Amino acid sequence: VARRGRGVPARRPAGMEAAELRVGFVGAGRMAGGLARGLLRAGKVPASSILASAPSDKNLDAWRESGCRTTHCNLEVLQESTLVFLATKPHVLPGVLQEIRPAVGSHHIVVSLVAGVTLQTLQRLLPAGTKVLRLMPNLPCVVQAGAMVFARGSGAGDGEAALLKSLLSSCGLCEEVPESYINIHTGLSGSGVAYVYLFAEALAEGAVKMGMPGSLASRIAAQTLLGAAKMMLESGEHPAKLRGDVCTPGGTTIHALHQLEKGALRATVMNAVEAATIRARDMAED
Amino acid sequence: AGVLAAHKITASSPDTDLPTVSGLRKMGVNFTVSNKDTVKSSDVLFLAVKPPIIPFILEEVGPDIEARHIVVSCAAGVTISSIEKKLSTFCPTPKVIRCMTNTPVIVREGATVYATGTHADVEDGKLVEQLMASVGFCTEVEEDLIDAVTGLSGSGPAYAFTALDALADGGVKMGLPRRLAVRLGAQALLGAAKMLLESEQHPGQLKDNVCSPGGATIHALHFLESGGFRSLLINAVEASCIRTRELQHLADQEKISPAAIKKTLLDKVKLETPSLSVASASKVSLFTNKSPSS
Repeated sequence: VARRGRGVPARRPAGMEAAELRVGFVGAGRMAGGLARGLLRAGKVPASSILASAPSDKNLDAWRESGCRTTHCNLEVLQESTLVFLATKPHVLPGVLQEIRPAVGSHHIVVSLVAGVTLQTLQRLLPAGTKVLRLMPNLPCVVQAGAMVFARGSGAGDGEAALLKSLLSSCGLCEEVPESYINIHTGLSGSGVAYVYLFAEALAEGAVKMGMPGSLASRIAAQTLLGAAKMMLESGEHPAKLRGDVCTPGGTTIHALHQLEKGALRATVMNAVEAATIRARDMAED
Repeated sequence: AGVLAAHKITASSPDTDLPTVSGLRKMGVNFTVSNKDTVKSSDVLFLAVKPPIIPFILEEVGPDIEARHIVVSCAAGVTISSIEKKLSTFCPTPKVIRCMTNTPVIVREGATVYATGTHADVEDGKLVEQLMASVGFCTEVEEDLIDAVTGLSGSGPAYAFTALDALADGGVKMGLPRRLAVRLGAQALLGAAKMLLESEQHPGQLKDNVCSPGGATIHALHFLESGGFRSLLINAVEASCIRTRELQHLADQEKISPAAIKKTLLDKVKLETPSLSVASASKVSLFTNKSPSS
């Protein structure tokens, strides 16, 4: 741990860094687990290099089963790891930061996953100059199809950003953004995953109504969403164009789309993203 | 558009007091009250009467239709086969072309489609296309699409006028003088349409290009979406298309009251025909760059 020294050199190949990296998780809940599982599945970090802490064993069993090391001591995570993910519940974080602060050094890279806690707050509660970054992932990180954005604090440089991006790209899409986008990302993609589940459920229900068995309908609904998303990502074409490509004149698709437009689906979805974003902003100020 | 000399155009109407009649006369168009005279002095015959009147006009001029004539009907909902059926009692192989245009032909920005009948040749279609292309966009389609075209671009200008009126209201509400609001609204739609026609990009992409993150436009668009703007437009095109088909059904059954016929004949019947020698049609050079003569 001590060999890192002051300031991680920017030019070291990310792959080599990742292999030597010791990664710690303070808090072992669903989001932390998702990230860790993503890193492990992508083979970026060996399980033995991962240490997670939590107050009780409830969450830690799954980590041990994957081969990760666990502890009940947050300080130990700081002492053993270079890259430390903070993944506690928001109300618990201030206390945890106070606890680990003495062990935080200039070699540490602290990445907070805690919803609503700003870089300003994090930097205030940690030693001056600490390399802090703030990450907003989403649940599909666990299947390596996540959408993540991160913002860097004043102490974090290009090297840290590059390391994080390289590491997390194994879990899906990972982009650096200004901090102000993080709440929007919550509304779009953090919560967005739930909107997709709702849509998938409704699609399947429509099929069931028309006579298809539910489990088959569900699987087809999911595959439809997956396929459409894949085409969008791979073609780079505007979704409106892709939509038009599916609509034969007078055919089934355009009839169905008309129903969706009648229901003002677009506005409703915009409302949803807006509501979640505003809520994220409100919660951050609490 | 300068494609035809005015003296080669003949128009007829039983009612000579219409403002349109004096307008045509001023342009130098030959005017007559006799539909038969019009047919005799023309090669291409545009039937511009109201749809229910078509069968009666065809009865009247049928005997004078010769093999050289190209009969072009612009009547909404009137099928080629119904016209051919009516004319076949007089002429064994009548050349019939059906078209659907729209009012902006007046400013040479019309949208026209045409479908060719059983006995109309490729050159006949091309001739009509050349004529109508001088006043806007013109293309050939299968006849079964014409009702949809009616719903979209036939009625379309009305949707646009409605939108422009409302946009101007919005401008006035926010403090603009009415004249300026109308002028700017119209120019905005004109410019947008021109961009779309000249661009390879999807309108969705062009829309995105205008919407800066968190800016004014995206806020406004959200309102449009909330109001179901898109579905309203889809509904409108659908309603117009369906109504056109209904009218066509009614016409096929020839369910028109004699009172309606009489009234229409006396009021707004107009028969307009340009004259072109069919023999030289292939050599006609159409000057689409000239400014209108009137």
